[in-house]
Amino acid sequence: MITTSRIRLAHLIIFLLPVFSILSGQEKKTNYGNIPDELVAYDRYQKAYKYHFLEPIKFYGAGREKIPPAGLKEVRIGFLGPLEGSIIVTLGKQMLQGSMLAIEEANKKGGYKGIPFKLMVHNDVGLWGAAANEIVKMDDEGVWAWVGTIDDVNSHVAIRATLKLEIPVINPGDPDPTYTETNIPWVLRNIPDDRQSSYALVKMIYTDKGYKRVAMMRANNRYGRVGTMHFNRSATRIGFPPVIEERFNDLETDFRQQLERIKKINPDAILVWGNAKESGLIVKQIREMGMTQPVFGSDRMVNPEFLETAGKHSEGVVTTCQYNPDADEPKLKAFRANYTKRFGMEPNVFAAHAYDAVNMIIAAIHKVGLNRVLIRDILTDLKTFQGYRGVTGVVIFDGAFNNLRPIYMAKVSNGRFEFSPAPRYEQENVIYKKVNVGY
Amino acid sequence: MNSKTYKYIIAFSILALLIVTGLLLIRNPAETENIPVNKNQSVIEDYRNSGDRYPGNSSQVIKEAGMVPVYGNWRTFTTKDGLPSDKAYTVRIDGDRVLVGTHDGMAVYENEKWKTYTTKDGLAHNGVVSVDVDELTGDVWIATLGGLNRWSGGKFETFNQLNSGMPNDLVYNVFCYGAHIWVATGGGAGHYDTRTRQWEIFTEMNAPMHEPWTYALSAGDGKVWIAAWGGGVIEYNTETSQFRDYVDPDGFMEIDLQPDDGVIHDITTATAYSDSILWVSTYFGMSRYDGKNWKGYFDHDSGLASNFINFIRAEGKVVFVCCDNGLSSTDGTTWVTYKKDDDSENGKAIITYGTEKKEIPLSPSISHNFIIGVDACGDFLWAATSKGVCRGELIK
Repeated sequence: MITTSRIRLAHLIIFLLPVFSILSGQEKKTNYGNIPDELVAYDRYQKAYKYHFLEPIKFYGAGREKIPPAGLKEVRIGFLGPLEGSIIVTLGKQMLQGSMLAIEEANKKGGYKGIPFKLMVHNDVGLWGAAANEIVKMDDEGVWAWVGTIDDVNSHVAIRATLKLEIPVINPGDPDPTYTETNIPWVLRNIPDDRQSSYALVKMIYTDKGYKRVAMMRANNRYGRVGTMHFNRSATRIGFPPVIEERFNDLETDFRQQLERIKKINPDAILVWGNAKESGLIVKQIREMGMTQPVFGSDRMVNPEFLETAGKHSEGVVTTCQYNPDADEPKLKAFRANYTKRFGMEPNVFAAHAYDAVNMIIAAIHKVGLNRVLIRDILTDLKTFQGYRGVTGVVIFDGAFNNLRPIYMAKVSNGRFEFSPAPRYEQENVIYKKVNVGY
Repeated sequence: MNSKTYKYIIAFSILALLIVTGLLLIRNPAETENIPVNKNQSVIEDYRNSGDRYPGNSSQVIKEAGMVPVYGNWRTFTTKDGLPSDKAYTVRIDGDRVLVGTHDGMAVYENEKWKTYTTKDGLAHNGVVSVDVDELTGDVWIATLGGLNRWSGGKFETFNQLNSGMPNDLVYNVFCYGAHIWVATGGGAGHYDTRTRQWEIFTEMNAPMHEPWTYALSAGDGKVWIAAWGGGVIEYNTETSQFRDYVDPDGFMEIDLQPDDGVIHDITTATAYSDSILWVSTYFGMSRYDGKNWKGYFDHDSGLASNFINFIRAEGKVVFVCCDNGLSSTDGTTWVTYKKDDDSENGKAIITYGTEKKEIPLSPSISHNFIIGVDACGDFLWAATSKGVCRGELIK
């Protein structure tokens, strides 16, 4: 009899849970950007007057009625990336190759109604403002959408131009959190951003590992400054501001001056944020200087160049990675095989996300035809491509059209990266003011 | 717990669930967000079917708008009327003529006729995004997607990155201030001294901005205000050559902690200065600065058509606000917002003061709700939109 009562009570609780959930509004899921409750800005002291990015920005302009020009010989998709004159050319070329593979595969299937797709390739040059000129060229070329780029100094300039010219873009390579926080209705990003990386690192370093005194060694550029922004803020908010922040320049090779200062204060752990080459040298010099602290880093370390440069000293280094390149997924395996066969090298994170981004644009064109506004509309409706499964995993766009898919940690073990799901904050009491945006 | 009690609780829960669901369905979302409830009042409900230009008591409503003028009798111009493109980026009134920048060239309206100028005539690029007139010389300065033009004596002179000190070829905004021609580009802001023919460029290297992404500017009383993407507003004192930046004090992109503590967001889109007031637009709302206090405006707490603002222009005490879903104007207290109906050429002017809201039906209305540029002079208000340009006449 007692057992029956308990079963009934359990049934009752299960039945009532959704009722209480509705009453408390907790069916509205997570905070913006997956911000952990304890890290929501100012929330312990004051509610914000206005919360942004909760509802997807709409485009109210004209253009949905436009019909494509007659007699098109090719369906053009733009590409913007670092291909010349940049220190991240190797990353740009991978992004280009991923895009090319998607185009080639689509053309083998007949293109768009028999018209072949063509990639219109543009170098982002790397100088301030030049990327804007390339978007103007894309408009003159008549691209229907574009993908790119990696360096946030160029991607930000490019998206202001894309807003003016009304060309949809999916970014497969720039993890700058502020990229989609510009509120431009033409801009999406399918690669998870550094906000997600920062929360995963903060959770692992401070909560799971229990370290308290962390030293930061970051690139002295926008990638380093904005990339570590949320790590810095989050660590500070939970009571552990980084004990030292040292900076280095691109192409620098001797970091001993900065590392000497870090060594003197004997931190619990060291966070390195920069490109693969410099990060590899930093890790090597850390160990050569006798420092044994655990080293954590940014996703750009997930690169053969880092392993090669750091050598045996890379062992045990932990970074984030926006997807799991070793996932047991048939789509991913086929992509890796085809890419390796086509280009003679393994795809990296930029190649994989560019491949997905171009495929999403092609799928959008197949659904709505050749109209920029309609392509934008369907990419951002938070329905059609919500849950889209590419080679990098699932796409979960938030209200800013940023991919909130769970990310991975990458740990160097026996000279190679091993991937595991990144630790996530439990979201038991979602305190952010929310609107249901379909994710 | 016995069986009877269990059944009662289940029944009660279902009933409660139904009631809650019903309440959720019928409640007004605006009320749940603590948004002030407006007392809407349509001036004449059946005006749409009447032959009158304006309804009976519209004059009283217009009078209540006070300092903010109300425009009606809107006329739309599109490619059918002679524009090179329906996508109009900018409009500037220049005496008896009107200069309109479009995606496919610059159109000049004079003596009721349109004439188009393109690259064939000497424009640096057909995409004309900003136009201003030098009051000292009468020269027209044209910002295009591919360089800056000076239109003088019937000839176009081109300034670009290759032949001058221009920071970038995509010129988002041009503003004439004294003998200086100021430009805002994604590669920095700069000014051209028409007397010395020298350029001076401001970027992150010599001005208080993290990045040189500048998209609009305005000037007055010896100062220039640059809208810096991600950098708020950069104030430049032309006499002392000193800078001062204004950024959102809360420091977070995803919130505005307090609306009146400074610029409401660091992604600024334009500035406008008039009558000692600086107005700053963003894609998140608008701010007003009187030199001492800031005030923020959002679409949920004012008459602002929407928070996404493409451009602003101030004339006297009034600022005209180009939103993505309507054209607004305000003196900071009273708002007049123009909206077009989706299914006809008609629309309305919505006059908001405090929590009270009144409407004047307009037939016809503005050409489109996506407003990109605006200019006002005398009895006319021109707006560049996503679907043509339109001209409103002052309702007296």
